Amino acid sequence: MLAYSRIKSIGVQKQSENLLVVSGVLEDELYAMACEIAISRPNLSIERVQARMKRFTTSRCPLAESVFTRAEGWKLDDELDGKIKKELGREGCRHMAALMIDCCRAAARAELTRELRSAIEADPELDKKAFAAEFLSRRSDLESYLRLR
Amino acid sequence: MILDFQTNQLTTVEEVARGVWRVTARTDDDLFSASLLLDIRTPALDIQAARFDVSRDELDLVQDLSPAMEKLVGVRVGPGMTKIVRAVVRDEGGSERVAEMVIDAMEMLINALTVPQLRKATDAVGQPATLDGDGPKVRLNNVLLGEEQIKLMGGNPRLKDSCVAFRDL
Repeated sequence: MLAYSRIKSIGVQKQSENLLVVSGVLEDELYAMACEIAISRPNLSIERVQARMKRFTTSRCPLAESVFTRAEGWKLDDELDGKIKKELGREGCRHMAALMIDCCRAAARAELTRELRSAIEADPELDKKAFAAEFLSRRSDLESYLRLR
Repeated sequence: MILDFQTNQLTTVEEVARGVWRVTARTDDDLFSASLLLDIRTPALDIQAARFDVSRDELDLVQDLSPAMEKLVGVRVGPGMTKIVRAVVRDEGGSERVAEMVIDAMEMLINALTVPQLRKATDAVGQPATLDGDGPKVRLNNVLLGEEQIKLMGGNPRLKDSCVAFRDL
């Protein structure tokens, strides 16, 4: 019999040339939560955060919601995961922090995916590995953050 | 607005034999699809078996991790596991994304083992809750652990200062 299960589902939309919006949900036996993040393009920094604790275990858990707005202004880079875990997870909620980390990485991966999709439309025989190498040389700021390997 | 990118992750935990827990983690996004299986024995919490299968890797960037999976056998869920898993799965040209997937799966076992304890505590001493942010038509939090129980749990060094509920006690 199943003892535990957790789902995380995240979607990224490009609302304009200057704006990505990411929406994520997490649900398991103990928690249900959602977060929406507006991220500016092309520099990929967090503009606005809405974090909602929906189902939780203690009467204090909802206090975490306001902690996550501290991420506004933070850039998607190699420091981000650590900052979210330390400054938002420990002072807010580590489960919401995990969801937020995945949301931000999905936003960066969406940038690559969008360009890849366009390139395949233009050239169905595209060498995807070579495309990825070219993308990463152009967006070296994202190379390690994307964690494609 | 139509989505540009979607990612879905499902992690399940089940006791497949007495004292043997199987954690299965699956991730699927536009570029990558893979699953991880860990069999972990209690009470030692050591990994008995680990397997990682890639079913789709559009960019062909994740290498064969079978040797790293073999090295995970014997690693224990507990303090120090993050460093060990990163050394085994990520370092020396391995995969950072898979290392994080393994660490996450190990943490989900802890969550699974915590559920019965929290269920017992909520049933025994949970307090009726009415929160402004919950509802107003359907409420998800009818019973919550109150201040007394929070203080009791916050005495555990692993929980103390771990999140907003257990700070400033």
